[in-house]
Amino acid sequence: MEGQTIKSANNTVLGRNSPRLSPHRKTSMFSAKMRSVFEPWLYLSPAIILLVLVMFLPLVIGFTYSFQHYSLFRPNDITWAGFANFEQLWSDWKFWKALKNTVWWTFGSVSIQFILGLGLALLLNRTFPARRLIQALVFLPWAVPTFLSGLTWAWLFNPVIGPLPKILYAVGLTDSAYESILADPAIAMWGPITANVWFGIPFFAITLLAALQSIPKDLYEAAAMDGASAWQGFTKITLPFLAPMIAITVMLRTIWIANFPDFIYTMTKGGPANSTEIVATYIFTTAFRRLDFGYASAVAMVLLLLLLAYAFILLNMRRIQAKG
Amino acid sequence: MAEISFSNLSKNYGSIEVLRNINLYIKDGEFIVLVGPSGCGKSTLLRLIAGLETITGGEISIGSQIVNDLEPRDRDLSMIFQSYALYPHMDVARNMGFSLEIRKENKDKRQSLVAKAAKTLGLEDYLDRLPKALSGGQRQRVAMGRAIVRKPRAFLFDEPLSNLDAALRIGMRFEIAKLHQKLGATMIYVTHDQVEAMTLADRIVVMNAGEIEQVGTPIDLYEQPQTLFVAKFIGSPSMNIVPASQSDDGIELPGGKTVKPGGWSKNLNPVQLGFRPEHLSLVEIGKADCTGKAIVTEHLGSDTFVYVDVKGWDPVIVRQRGNSNIQSGTELGISFDTSRLYMFAKDGKTIRGTDT
Repeated sequence: MEGQTIKSANNTVLGRNSPRLSPHRKTSMFSAKMRSVFEPWLYLSPAIILLVLVMFLPLVIGFTYSFQHYSLFRPNDITWAGFANFEQLWSDWKFWKALKNTVWWTFGSVSIQFILGLGLALLLNRTFPARRLIQALVFLPWAVPTFLSGLTWAWLFNPVIGPLPKILYAVGLTDSAYESILADPAIAMWGPITANVWFGIPFFAITLLAALQSIPKDLYEAAAMDGASAWQGFTKITLPFLAPMIAITVMLRTIWIANFPDFIYTMTKGGPANSTEIVATYIFTTAFRRLDFGYASAVAMVLLLLLLAYAFILLNMRRIQAKG
Repeated sequence: MAEISFSNLSKNYGSIEVLRNINLYIKDGEFIVLVGPSGCGKSTLLRLIAGLETITGGEISIGSQIVNDLEPRDRDLSMIFQSYALYPHMDVARNMGFSLEIRKENKDKRQSLVAKAAKTLGLEDYLDRLPKALSGGQRQRVAMGRAIVRKPRAFLFDEPLSNLDAALRIGMRFEIAKLHQKLGATMIYVTHDQVEAMTLADRIVVMNAGEIEQVGTPIDLYEQPQTLFVAKFIGSPSMNIVPASQSDDGIELPGGKTVKPGGWSKNLNPVQLGFRPEHLSLVEIGKADCTGKAIVTEHLGSDTFVYVDVKGWDPVIVRQRGNSNIQSGTELGISFDTSRLYMFAKDGKTIRGTDT
């Protein structure tokens, strides 16, 4: 819209001036037209060049890798593979296991993070002494490097030096005080998920708190006068107001967590017996441990497509919901 | 429908006392206007009735029930907010029917009650719009519709017209008056605008610094203000107040003459004298009680307000009927209607003469 107005404004200016410039009218009009077309692109070029260099090119290169036999163990044997990588992937049980684990890891982490984050946001939205200080402190886990948090959590779960196995045993969740949940394939995933929840709550708490603070207080007063209980106020006013923020934060966090290997890599390295391997760690080990860039790129392409599909569906749902 | 009463009501925020010693009985179906300058506690009093604030002393009762500790949702009152407080994510119909939705009334009943209220307020064509697509006046109507639909025991209005422009405000004032006639419900209305108070109220409660200054019908307050504060607050333009010094023959005026207000006697010792612009007349200088120079004239069409500079006094406003053509700088004579002079004592109370 705006671009059009600017263009037509330029044209009228031109039309008014053109009689005076009649000998050079054609060339000046042409160059002015070119200018109005290219000028905006010129201003945008630094950003565009940067985006092409750091995002678009790597994406295209990764995309081409996925159709090649590209292993650093056979550097002289890099050839086009057609769909061979994807066919291999289709029958690779490790990939399917990783995909299943990714779903568990992602939705386990996001849903617990969201519920606890929302609860924390509601608590922080009340008035209490030293509220600002506590709001700032709540953000701290987010500020700790994830690698360090991962190692710390791995130690916390360590049966020799960590307190958590003893606590879990004391409350009756495990059978022995010397058992690490990270070593049990059936429940190992809960280790990284716990670390991830601890790490991710502040994000939800702070973003949802910002949204909560934007809700006018008199709406709750009006609802109270209309006979609404606190719970009805929450479901009929708070949640509808938070919905756009919830949709966007849940979507972002889902995408981030689905390809966020830090905790898994530092705590379990995908083990034991692939029980915590997610697609992101699988790509990492395939590319940087087995040095098979071709196959790793194929897996990455599939993950990218799945995440795009997920974002597309969620945004559409949101749009339909906003309309209806 | 219900009567509402306060006895010895008080409200503190920590050590700050915002309301004290409030005693008032509001009859069933009465239109009461709480009026006063900002910070006088009128909105707080309304919020105490609503239950949005808790009282710190005394008693509020609605009907025969003491409601001190009752939640707002259990008091069965409707409130209309200055900001309208419409739910922005709900259309007009759902906004108006929200209390019924909360009460889990069935859809047909909800729709018919909302339609009825919408008809009363002329909102039929807007039922499926969101509040953001409405003008200020329409939003105000929706807020009123939401209040009507739930058939409350009483209506509370918190400066409902303050966000509207002047023309719309007069229109809505009329609508509210009609609504009160139609529903016959108890209504409590907070405003800082004394014209709204005068035009709407059965009785006005004038508040000042957390206390009730005077309660009465609009005409009571206009004709018999009990304090200087009420005398100045009610009436537009407000009453002229000048310093008074007493002599044996009455109150001395600039220029040497004296006036004897109705009910005059020697031992009243007023410190201030008050007279309304409409109770002054401009006369020939020879017949005048005192004289002064015209400074400014304001022409309203129906009336003319003349600001007269009388030596020793603040400018005195004289109201003239119609369009009177007085040039500034003209020397004018002022004559008083002695039955309409008010005397005020040092403590701000009105002095009642012997025969009034």
